[in-house]
Formats: sequence, structure tokens, C-alpha cells
Amino acid sequence: MKKRLYLELENCIGCRSCLAACTQCGGHEERNRNYVYDVNPLVNRQTMPLMCLHCENPACARSCPAQAIQIHETGAVLSALVEKCIGCQNCTIACPYGIPKFDTEQNLMYKCDLCIDRTKDGIPPMCASVCPSNTLQWLTDEEIENKKKQFNLDNGKWVTSMPYLEGETNVKVNLPGILQGITKLY
Amino acid sequence: MQAKAAVNQKTGNTLNNAFASNFAKSMFLSVTALAVLSFIGTRMFTHVDLNLYGYMVGTIVFLGGFFYRFIAWGERPPTKIILKKGLKLLFRKSTPKTSVEHLATYNFIWNRGIYRWTQHVLIGWGCILSCFVTFPLVFGWMYFTMDDNGYYNIIALGMQVMTVPADGIIANLSYNALNITAVMVIVGVCMALYRRLKNMQARAEQKFLYDFLPLYMLLLVSITGLALTFMNIFLHGAGQPAMSLIHQWSVIITLIYLPFGKLAHIPFRPMSVLARNYREHYAEQDMKECKVCGDQFVSSEQSQDVVDVLGVNDIQFKTKEGHHLAEMCLPCRRKYRIAQFSGFPTHEVKVKEANQNAKG
Ligand code: HEM
Ligand code: SF4
Ligand code: SF4
Ligand code: SF4
Repeated sequence: MKKRLYLELENCIGCRSCLAACTQCGGHEERNRNYVYDVNPLVNRQTMPLMCLHCENPACARSCPAQAIQIHETGAVLSALVEKCIGCQNCTIACPYGIPKFDTEQNLMYKCDLCIDRTKDGIPPMCASVCPSNTLQWLTDEEIENKKKQFNLDNGKWVTSMPYLEGETNVKVNLPGILQGITKLY
Repeated sequence: MQAKAAVNQKTGNTLNNAFASNFAKSMFLSVTALAVLSFIGTRMFTHVDLNLYGYMVGTIVFLGGFFYRFIAWGERPPTKIILKKGLKLLFRKSTPKTSVEHLATYNFIWNRGIYRWTQHVLIGWGCILSCFVTFPLVFGWMYFTMDDNGYYNIIALGMQVMTVPADGIIANLSYNALNITAVMVIVGVCMALYRRLKNMQARAEQKFLYDFLPLYMLLLVSITGLALTFMNIFLHGAGQPAMSLIHQWSVIITLIYLPFGKLAHIPFRPMSVLARNYREHYAEQDMKECKVCGDQFVSSEQSQDVVDVLGVNDIQFKTKEGHHLAEMCLPCRRKYRIAQFSGFPTHEVKVKEANQNAKG
């Protein structure tokens, strides 16, 4: 059963477990590829994770002159191939969400690869495995569809998907609580 | 592969037309040049060594694959930009230093790990040195003569370069050059294989065809090469013809594979020097200021090039404020996205982003 990464952004409690977990996946060389931001840092403690959304038409790969960013058959947009990346940093400029990280010492870009080491065998990615607040989940399309029905939004929109993102993505994002003004039961 | 296919689709027919003619042109010129060289080298084909016939066919097939891959690759919009602008900037003051660091001493691989660096120096330099020795010998650009007095002359392109004692260090190094490089490659490849089998970081996404095949091919070439020496010295040439064929076959297969798999990085890599020059030159010209915080984060030229390349791919990324997402620095672009999710303008709060790097 094909599963996807699914984000319910406002669940985030800012523990940054996902950053720590990301360093531990095979091939990550102990460096994390995700972000956690304070939404309104001077006023409250709400945080949200920012992940690579694994675009269906990934700007990072389109802008890479070396074809170093490959797309896996699962749809995951992989980190730069170590022998191909020539260090131009086009991908960091192109990504609409500012995801790829660049190491100047190693002359190498690295980004979220959806923990391909795990997800190619159907194991959830590191970040989703450790997230204590159900912000990051690993779900089938059917389960995501059910979530969509469960959060019956007024405007009938899956608010953080198209047209609110920059393009179709393999990772699905949602913010049900905030928009419905309801208190959630996890 | 998917990425490539989609780009080709987008640029459509013009690309295919250019492709067909460029390919034909490059192939024609190279094969003609080879034919002329062989004609001269073999004194009007009177001295054709049929043992080397396989190499000839191999070289021609290799050229076909090479041009096929390279022309298709050079036509991709982002590649074309770096190639075109990079070549114009080839004669910067920093070029020699960058070239040595990127292509000869591999400083950046050192920063990835000493093991990985050692492994690559052994494989890379082993292969490069082997080529430097083999090609001149095969084409007769270099040969040795021996004087009566026990001295060897090394003759390159008809000129006597050096005279050395026949049992001296330099003479021994030259007789054994190919054996030494073969051992370098074997050690390097074994290090790579060991790492691919044991190291969880290297194992994560390796494939047989992409990651292991080139290593096995290099191993086969080196071992059969060494075996030839072994048979000459210790077996008085027994089994040599058969081994020579196996060696030849392995070299040809490696050559044919080269433009398609992992080894394609060898001819591609010099582009890293072009990319570095491109970044340095345009950064000196004019830097792009982030539309939100005003930080200078990339050269204006590169920013515009990326916007153009995305445009070719029908990717626009216009914000409602009227600029392109690529005109924001990375932290602001990330905060801007959080702002789109939450409805609160996070990017406008003048607070530096929190540390985003966890220590693993
Ligand atoms: C033009 C100069 C070259 C450059 C800049 C270059 C660059 C690189 C880089 C950056 C890697 C990745 C290393 C890592 O991160 O661990 C690599 C891997 C590799 N290179 Fe090169 N390379 C060059 C020439 C060569 C040559 C001449 C060979 C010989 C055939 C070669 C064979 C290999 C092999 C087999 C690997 C893969 C090793 C593995 O399995 O991990 N390279 N190269
Ligand atoms: S979110 Fe950015 S890094 Fe991830 S696939 Fe899309 S363009 Fe690439
Ligand atoms: S930095 Fe590396 S991965 Fe990114 S676009 Fe340049 S070559 Fe490709
Ligand atoms: S999916 Fe894997 S690589 Fe991507 S952010 Fe999560 S842990 Fe990191």
C-alpha cells in the first residue's frame, strides 16, 4: 500500500524531534534536512515544521545543470548525487520553499530524500516515526481522503494544497484546527 | 531520468532537430579524425595490428555514446547557461587554483571524509596515470631505447627526454608504471566496495548497475592487466593471448559503459570549475538583495538565470506581492511559506531564524 507523508501543521509543539531524527536516517551523514519555525516568535509559542514537499514538477531538479537531483520511482525527489553535484547552488535559489541546504566545504547540496532508505521498503520516514504530536504522519491515500472528509472546511478547500501551494506535491499538507476554530482530540 | 524526459518534452522539437544534426556532426568529425590518425599511424594501413581491432571498434562505439549523452545534456536549459557563461569566464585569475582543487587534489572530497578522499585519489589518479602511459605507448608517441652502457633513453614525440640507468629508480618506475597504477585502482576500488557493503551512509540508495558495476569493471580491467604482467614474468607468456583478450574485452565494455553510468562524472566534472567561476564573477558584478530583508544572497545574474530556466519549464512562482519567490533569501523564503500556511506574516517579524541544524 503506497503511503505518503502527511502534515497537520498546527499540531506542532516545537520539540524538534524531527530535526534530530532526520540526522539518523541512512545516507544522511548525520545532517538534518528539515526545519521548524516559530510562527510569531515575539508573541506566542506556535511552531510549524517546514518540509520538502516532493513536488511533482520539482523546481530544484529542473534547475540543476548536472542532473544531480534524481526522482525516485516512488516520486521522492532525492538529495544530490555526490559525484554529480557541481556546487552551483541553482537548486537552492529555485526551490519555492527554500529547502535544499548547501555545504560549501564539501561543495555539495543535500536535501530531504523522504528517507528513501526506509520509505522504498514501506517503512515510515524518520521524522514521521518520532513526531509525538501527530504533526507528521505516514498515511495511505485512503486515510488522507478520510481526513479530508473529517475536516469539512467551509470553503470546501483542502486549504494548504493547490492552489495554495506552488504546484502539485507528493507530500500532503493540512491545517484543520486553526481554520475550523475547533479544539482537536488527538 | 524522469527529470530529463520532462525537460526534453518541454523544449520539444527544436531540441530534437539540433540534437540530430549536432550528433551527426560530432560523430562524423571524430570518426574522420580517428581514421586519419590511424592512416598515418599505421603507415597507410600497412601495419594494422589486428589484436587491437577490438579497441578500435570499442572507441567508436564509445564516441557514439559519449556524444549522444553529452549533446542531449548540453541542451538542457540550466546546463547550457553554465556551459556558455562559464566558458567565457574560463580565463579568470582563480581558474588554475580552482581547477587543481576541484580536479586534481579533490579538496572537497577530503572535507567529506579522509577515507572517501583516499579511495578517490587511488581510483582517479590510478586511472588517469594509466591512460597517460597507455595512450602514448599505443600510438607510438613515447618509447624507450637502450644504450650499450646500460642506460635507458625515454623518448617522447621523437625527442630524448631523459637518460636513466636501466636498473635505477626512474627506469623501474617506468617499466612498472602500469603495474603500480593497477594496484592503486585495485586498492581504491576495494575501499569503495568495502564502504558500499559496510557503511550505512553509503548503502542507503545504491543500485547494482549504477554503483557496483563500474567498480567491478575497474577491478576486472586492473586485475586482468596485472595478470598479463604476471604471465609474462612468471609463466613465460603462458595463457597470455587468452588473458589479453579478456583484458581487451573488459576495457571495451568499460569504455562503452562510461558515458551512461556513474563514470560519466569524469567528463562532466570539469563543469564544477565553470560553475565556480560563474558564481565568483557575477558575485563581484552585482549581488541580488532579498526582497524582504535586503540581505545579499546570490548574484543578480544567477538569480535571473534561475528564474529564466524555471520559466522555460512553465514554473512561475509569482507572489501576491509581485515578485518571484527566487528573489527572496532562503530564510525569508521559508518564513514566507510559514506565513502562507498560518496567515500571519512571519517573514516580516525582524527575528533571525532559530538554529535549524540538529547535531546528529
Ligand atoms: C575529473 C576529475 C574527477 C572528479 C572531480 C571526480 C569527482 C568525484 C566525486 C565528487 C565522487 C564522489 C566521492 C564521494 O563523495 O565519496 C566521485 C566518485 C567516484 N569516482 Fe570520480 N572524479 C574524477 C575522476 C575520476 C576518474 C578518472 C575515475 C576513474 C575511473 C573516477 C572514478 C570514480 C568512482 C568509481 C567513484 C565512485 C566511488 C564509490 O563507489 O563510492 N573518478 N568522483
Ligand atoms: S520542495 Fe523544493 S526541494 Fe522539495 S522537491 Fe520541491 S523544489 Fe525540490
Ligand atoms: S548545487 Fe548541485 S544539486 Fe544543486 S543545482 Fe547545482 S549541481 Fe545541482
Ligand atoms: S522524510 Fe526523512 S529526510 Fe525528509 S525531513 Fe523527514 S526525516 Fe528528514
